[in-house]
Amino acid sequence: MISQVFILSSQGDHLIYKDCILMHYSQENSLDLYLKLVGITILLSVQCPQRNKNLNFIHVRHSGLYWVVSTKDNPSPFTIIEFLNRLAALTKDYCGSLSEKSVRMNFALIYELLDEMVDYGYIQTTSTDILKNFIQTEAVTSKPFSLFDLSNVGLFGAETQQSKVAPSAAASRPIVASHGEQVRKNEIFVDVVERLSVVIGSNGVLMKADVEGEIRVKCYLPTCSEMRIGLNEEFSIGKSQLRGYGAAVRVDECSFHQAVKLDEFDTYRILKVCPSQGEQTLMQYQLSDELPCAPPFRLFPTVEKDYGSRLLIFLKLRCDLPPKRYLTFVGISQTVARALLLFSLSQELSSPEQSAELQPRSKAVLWTIPRFPGGAQLSAVFKVEVPRLSSASLLEVGPISMSFELPKYTCTGLQVRFLRLSPTQPGLSQRWVRYVTHSDSYTIRI
Amino acid sequence: MSSSSAFNDEKGGSSSVGEPEYGHDPASGGIFSSDYKRHDDLKEMLDSNKDSLKLEAMKRIVAMVARGKNASDLFPAVVKNVACKNIEVKKLVYVYLVRYAEEQQDLALLSISTFQRGLKDPNQLIRASALRVLSSIRVTIIVPIMMLAIKEAASDMSPYVRKTAAHAIPKLYSLDPEQKDQLIEVIEKLLADKTTLVAGSVVMAFEEVCPERIELIHKNYRKLCNLLIDVEEWGQVVIINMLTRYARTQFLNPNINESLLEEGGEKEFYASDDDEDDEEKKAEAAALAKRKPYVMDPDHRLLLRNTKPLLQSRNAAVVMAVAQLYFHLAPKAEVGVIAKALVRLLRSHSEVQYVVLQNVATMTIKRRGMFEPHLKSFYIRSTDPTQIKILKLEVLTNLASETNISTILREFQTYIKSMDKDFVAATIEAIGRCATNIGEVRDTCLNGLVQLLSNRDELVVAESVVVIKKLLQMQPEQHSEIIKHMAKLIDNIQVPMARASILWLIGEYCEHVPKIAPDVLRKMAKTFTNEEDIVKLQILNLAAKLYLTNSKQTKLLTQYVLNLAKYDQNYDIRDRARFIRQLIVPTDKSGALSKYAKKLFLALKPAPVLESPFKDRDHFQLGSLSHLLNTKAGGYQELPEWPDSAPDPSVRNVEVPEWSKCTSRKERKEKKVEKPFYSDSEGESGPTESADSESDSGSRSESDSEQTGSGSESEESVEESQSEEEEDEEEEKMKKKKKVDKSQPKKSESAESKIASEIQFLLSTSVAPTSSPQVTPVNNFLSSSLASDLEGLSLTDTVLAPTTIAPSASVRMYELLHRITGEGLGVEYCFNRQAFSPDPHMVAVQIHFTNNTSCETKNLHIEEPKLQSGMRIKEFPEIDMLPAGESVSVVMGIDFCDSTQAANFQLCTHTRKFFVSIQPPVGELMTPIFLTENEFKKEQTGHN
Repeated sequence: MISQVFILSSQGDHLIYKDCILMHYSQENSLDLYLKLVGITILLSVQCPQRNKNLNFIHVRHSGLYWVVSTKDNPSPFTIIEFLNRLAALTKDYCGSLSEKSVRMNFALIYELLDEMVDYGYIQTTSTDILKNFIQTEAVTSKPFSLFDLSNVGLFGAETQQSKVAPSAAASRPIVASHGEQVRKNEIFVDVVERLSVVIGSNGVLMKADVEGEIRVKCYLPTCSEMRIGLNEEFSIGKSQLRGYGAAVRVDECSFHQAVKLDEFDTYRILKVCPSQGEQTLMQYQLSDELPCAPPFRLFPTVEKDYGSRLLIFLKLRCDLPPKRYLTFVGISQTVARALLLFSLSQELSSPEQSAELQPRSKAVLWTIPRFPGGAQLSAVFKVEVPRLSSASLLEVGPISMSFELPKYTCTGLQVRFLRLSPTQPGLSQRWVRYVTHSDSYTIRI
Repeated sequence: MSSSSAFNDEKGGSSSVGEPEYGHDPASGGIFSSDYKRHDDLKEMLDSNKDSLKLEAMKRIVAMVARGKNASDLFPAVVKNVACKNIEVKKLVYVYLVRYAEEQQDLALLSISTFQRGLKDPNQLIRASALRVLSSIRVTIIVPIMMLAIKEAASDMSPYVRKTAAHAIPKLYSLDPEQKDQLIEVIEKLLADKTTLVAGSVVMAFEEVCPERIELIHKNYRKLCNLLIDVEEWGQVVIINMLTRYARTQFLNPNINESLLEEGGEKEFYASDDDEDDEEKKAEAAALAKRKPYVMDPDHRLLLRNTKPLLQSRNAAVVMAVAQLYFHLAPKAEVGVIAKALVRLLRSHSEVQYVVLQNVATMTIKRRGMFEPHLKSFYIRSTDPTQIKILKLEVLTNLASETNISTILREFQTYIKSMDKDFVAATIEAIGRCATNIGEVRDTCLNGLVQLLSNRDELVVAESVVVIKKLLQMQPEQHSEIIKHMAKLIDNIQVPMARASILWLIGEYCEHVPKIAPDVLRKMAKTFTNEEDIVKLQILNLAAKLYLTNSKQTKLLTQYVLNLAKYDQNYDIRDRARFIRQLIVPTDKSGALSKYAKKLFLALKPAPVLESPFKDRDHFQLGSLSHLLNTKAGGYQELPEWPDSAPDPSVRNVEVPEWSKCTSRKERKEKKVEKPFYSDSEGESGPTESADSESDSGSRSESDSEQTGSGSESEESVEESQSEEEEDEEEEKMKKKKKVDKSQPKKSESAESKIASEIQFLLSTSVAPTSSPQVTPVNNFLSSSLASDLEGLSLTDTVLAPTTIAPSASVRMYELLHRITGEGLGVEYCFNRQAFSPDPHMVAVQIHFTNNTSCETKNLHIEEPKLQSGMRIKEFPEIDMLPAGESVSVVMGIDFCDSTQAANFQLCTHTRKFFVSIQPPVGELMTPIFLTENEFKKEQTGHN
């Protein structure tokens, strides 16, 4: 049973406060006590239930906001955490985007949402389909000036080629269109997102590789029409079956949203779903250990002890992707040594747009590459001045971790063949599909 | 303030001329403005007759409420608008009212009549929200009105309104606890409701108002189990938790008969501290011997079976609720299914991960085997937050065993290189725990830890020293080298805890390092004054121990140290010095104790036990907040212990017609089963493990629960527990579909037709023409949408879900020997539709003996079967003794050669022989076989 709900800004200001069972604890009393107890700094690190006298607090963090619930008795912590996650997701759906600003602009809306979701501390419903019957307040959105919007309008109003790509902010608007809006855009966005976590041993052998992927749909269609998403026909689940002649797209496990109808999935690999408005994850899948392609990077590190107290680190990085692909935002960091007091770095990089810096707090070198085309090879030499260098300190050079984003690419090879709406929507209906692979944790041990 | 100025023009038209003018900006009133003028602009807007103005005002007011600002002075202005026609304004007024009604009771009463009118509205949504707000107005005067409204709403047409009524119950209860009895009546009525929408809410109310009235659940137990899958997710969590408690009071512990050997083997790991457990176990074993074999109540099975598909839920709370249910209620062999679901949750948000790992850590202590296959899922990622890393370490340590220790240690090795200090320290401690738990790797671990001593990071070294100290205590003799090495380290290490540990080690094992110890003391004496307190105490200890063993070399040094300590600032240290001096330095009036000084100081210390901090957590119910905090949270209810003997299971029996006319087709189907010639087209389908058939047959003995029709599908249990959840369930569903498909074309194969091949899919040799062709496969499993509920549809179709997963098996019992002809021995039989393991060609027949006499019957067995050619019988093992009043079930196999000819044989007791015959009804001659999904598909295409 939920006693109070708070939404806090990243500085700890109260944005929203709802006293669900009217406990008449003054909010300052309970929450400030909590903040004093936890401290906003700890709040920043990890989220867990915290206890203070007879009130327990549970919080999660989303988009820089803290979503806090206090409770007097003994509910399942999962219920609360799940509720807070749903609340955040619904707020995002209704307000368009999730930020301190959008929450500030929509106090009334969010309060109304909360009022419908929680009745006297009990969760009533979190389903958009039901909530849309009750929520009356419209969202207020801010439209930031964006160059992307301009680029879509060509000379003399003619559509340019650019319009084949949706602006990146297109998916961040409220799901319920305001009445004033003349043309309601019937858009649907499908994201195929994969997260890659790889561990490569010191001998270059792939030790562990996992891909977690999901198909997310954000739907703005007002009426529920059936949507059919066709996946690769060669898509197979589990080890036993292989389909088709092409390169199989295989995953180990697959789970679907409960609204997805699977009657055509077995034969044609078609997901049928009537998406409700808002954002939802239709399908989640995992693949572990057997990647269909080589991991996107190979790194050849050498660490040597130079004369004096200098550590020489050669890094040679090769991207094994096909040449058309490229990566954005590659960050490579490596712990250099543990116990250093003074410490200087000199570097030789192959291109001026790359940068490298030494991070004194984590004692790591961070090498940033803004854009890295497939098939290319980059190398860098770092010379680190380490006082009291001994042969033992070579052992302390920690693993290399990389973070990157790989647009228009999925590691498993999963593709959306088609996206059909039936019956076809009258008027404009636009469908967008996007693929992206993130690095969840990409570690190369030394 | 742009809005208020914009509205001003409009207002100019509508308001009268003589009205005083207020500043547009509330701030313009400055410091002199009194409180009641503060929100004047809002009040004006609320008083206007334009909806847009009212709406704007309400939005601003609600925004104030949302920010926690006090807006109570606007109450009179707001409450006037409660009857506003505009739905948007009305909605926000409701929101406001709920917040402030309690503070302004008299004014709140003005709004009551509006809600009372709302309760009669034809629109269900308006009825519901009127009830919701009415019940949220916490004014004691209106308690009777609320009571009346709740009672009326509880019998409303719309399930949505009934749901709201259920939500209103705890509100009224907290306002006026004296209404409890009346409220319980309403709860009782709503518990009988058949719609899924209401089920969750009413169980919430039950838990809040009268959790002790467990008897209210009896009649609804089976219904709740069957509806569970279609209840909305938050309701599922509440129902599952309630049913867990219910099952704990009503059923027997399924693990009661567990073989003790197995138990012992598993516990061995923690053998050091479970002496009491052993005794308990012995007592238990003694009790066990007397007890009759455990038989799972079919209702218990029903609960387990119906909750299992919920492990696939996308709501972590539901998954965890099911997991704890299985952990607390399921037989040991079946608990394994939850591991996979929990591991899946590890891919969720880090908050969820944190809570899951806490629960997994507790589970791994009790049931290590469950998570062993998922070891890799607990490997640490560089991106995990520290708390999660530490919890994963905990789980890995708990999972470590002789077989996997080498891989785990290799993982730990890389973790030590991490930058995260707390994590590194935890890793070293984890290595220590692995080393204590698994004897084989103790030396390897110790060597590894000693290598860490040369690490440049002091924290690593310090933590290693502490752990090494604990390890060395277990077998100090072989490790004087390590102690020497550590003695050298004392020059460099600054962390007090590590220094103290080294000194203690040297003192404790000074006889192993006789030359070095005095030297260390010499060094420490020099730096004594600059040491931390904890180190000083250990220096004193070291001095005392050396004085006792090697007084020649260290006498002066000890004196010196004791003198230094005598004038120390810390009284602990002064006390210790005084105490030691009295004890070890012989004076003329030294007390009686000094004789024993050596025994006091150099007593053999027991090795410390490195154990998991999660060890004591399992007395809290898993998945609860109290478990997470490891302290009792308010309102925590202990999970009751299993009862020693099961309460009467018949209390759950429901008159069949009472709820079988409801909605679901399942019941209709089952009623058809009662017809004698109905050949069950939905019988056994899944792969069956025959190994457990004994326990299954046992459950048949609960014959009185058979007629209820709710299905005591215990034979399902085995295959379900062993099957891979998703695929097999899907498979089963498909098979089911397939079967129904097959019955549609009304192929009536003759009963004598031979089974063509082993792969023949549906081996029931005859498909009854009567089987209803209108039964269509239902595959929108989990497709119930709440939206449809809202429209007032009761759940006619969706309740089917449980049946699609598991074939219902209300098996008909036939009489073999009436108790009068059998002179008190009653024999019944049924076809339990299990594979008969000794011979696949045979049909399993379960025979149920009941001894109604007052003396025992002995040597029950079969003799002289008279069989048609080709028929064969596999007799059941002879029953030595059947005590008076008891009953027993056995399974025998008969190969009927696909004919419906009777099998005749004699049933013998030690005194009498009875001629009996078993004639198989059409439709019972079937063999369950196992097919992979691919094979099944091949078959499927072949048949169509």
